[in-house]
Amino acid sequence: MSLATTMARRVGRTVLLMLFAAAGTILLVRFAPGFFSDSREMDAKYAQAAQAEIQAENSQQQSVRQIAVHTVESWLKGDFGESREYQVPVAELIGARVRVSAVLLAQGILSGWLLAICFALPISCLRTGGLVWGLPFTVLLAIPSAAMATACIVAETGGPVLVLSLLIAAREFKFLRSLLEGAWCSPHLLQGRAQGLSARALVTMHIVPNVAPQLRALATLSIVTALGALVPIEVIFTVPGIGQLAWSAVMNRDLPVLVAVSLLMACGVGLASMLSSRSVTLEAA
Amino acid sequence: MKKRIPAVLLLLLILAAVLVLLLTRYGYADQDRDAIMAPSTAQHWTGTDELGRDRTVRVAAALLIGLTGAAAAAAITTAIAACFGLLAAFSPASIATLLLFVSDVFLSLPWLFLLMMARSVLPLTASPLETAVTTFLVLAALGWPACARAIYRGAIELRCSEWMIQGHACGLKKRQLIKLHLVPHLRSLLLPQFLVCVPAFIVAEANLGALGLGVGEPMPSWGAMLLELDNSALLARSHWVYLPIVLLAVVLLILESFTTEVETHA
Repeated sequence: MSLATTMARRVGRTVLLMLFAAAGTILLVRFAPGFFSDSREMDAKYAQAAQAEIQAENSQQQSVRQIAVHTVESWLKGDFGESREYQVPVAELIGARVRVSAVLLAQGILSGWLLAICFALPISCLRTGGLVWGLPFTVLLAIPSAAMATACIVAETGGPVLVLSLLIAAREFKFLRSLLEGAWCSPHLLQGRAQGLSARALVTMHIVPNVAPQLRALATLSIVTALGALVPIEVIFTVPGIGQLAWSAVMNRDLPVLVAVSLLMACGVGLASMLSSRSVTLEAA
Repeated sequence: MKKRIPAVLLLLLILAAVLVLLLTRYGYADQDRDAIMAPSTAQHWTGTDELGRDRTVRVAAALLIGLTGAAAAAAITTAIAACFGLLAAFSPASIATLLLFVSDVFLSLPWLFLLMMARSVLPLTASPLETAVTTFLVLAALGWPACARAIYRGAIELRCSEWMIQGHACGLKKRQLIKLHLVPHLRSLLLPQFLVCVPAFIVAEANLGALGLGVGEPMPSWGAMLLELDNSALLARSHWVYLPIVLLAVVLLILESFTTEVETHA
């Protein structure tokens, strides 16, 4: 199969998954209790006629088919519909927040990886005591991201980037150490050591090229881990990003926002999966 | 002996939690209005919370509820994943593709986001027991796709194994193949998935609880107890507020090492 066909199939599959994710979100929220309640109905400033109009407007969007058609229309228009909670186009809401979340994700993933590599590389060379040195990461792995964020606030140290990077570092350290331990024991590396190659030369000439594909796959999977952790971290630190918007949309049954965020999340996961074409090799490692 | 240490530690913790609940005169919802935010005393070993509820009892109950709920949810998830994975592995390619696509749809959204969405659309104002059951059922209902993938891969290896092919060649019927070759090997396939799910579900419940979507008050849970850390007045008075987070980390570490030991010796 040619590269173009493979790519086209992968993109098609990702788009299909995104559509199914959006459809699932619509079904989930449509049948949620409280979906039809509208805070405007409780507001005394709306006259009887306005209340009736609100009810009529809500009743127009009752069936799943109507909601789906309305959603697709809003996608085609490019505004992703209007937020029920904020009364502004969803594209406008998301546009402002994507940048904040993207910066947080990039900083968190980069510093997490740096931390994991800095510790995994020397620890993987150790013949004894590796378990003890790796203990802090094992402990970090046992702390939920929400707890880590709350602890940071209580201690008045660090912020969302620190929590995200610690989370990523804890997850990736385990895989990295196992990868590197395997690499250090490979026959060509033993020969290199026997020939007196320096540690730096061994790392740059033998280890990095050998583990690069797995590292690439692992790095893309970090995006999925970070996307999942985005919600509690942004909510607890009140970061105005996509995670906080998703939480607020979920709590207020704001369907247009939720569908758009689901699409965005599915797109992020889909892209990450597409990039990690060697995830099977990673799982074997 | 070494491989039994995590199991023994876990059993000791459970035993201690049960003893605390049996021996104390307070229930997890009982309020001592004369001891609001009390420090450690003979009556309340680890003090009380802002409503005067005994923290030792609440932490013990949270440990038991968390472990029981997570274990039950993990059992359900493993059962669903086993059905799904085995069906995909032993059915024609078209059905397998369809089943794997369904699992991919679930995996196309980050786990915590999906959990949050699913949990929030279910009633939040139900009784505490109902919210606990709902939370763990949501975990069970959404946790299976990754497990199903792992079981599918294992089952494919089983299907292509030499003894299976030989059994086929010897004319064994499908039922005999399943009974003689498949079922005995399922334990090594399903047990690691179950063990991986338990700590993952405990962490997920804690994260959901911290977002206000977990088990409802007054039933204690890890997530609800993490919310206590937001109370700066309570933090200033007693360091026992950190007990739930420390114990949660200890429980997760024990579970993690237990899983590693089982996987190593499987």
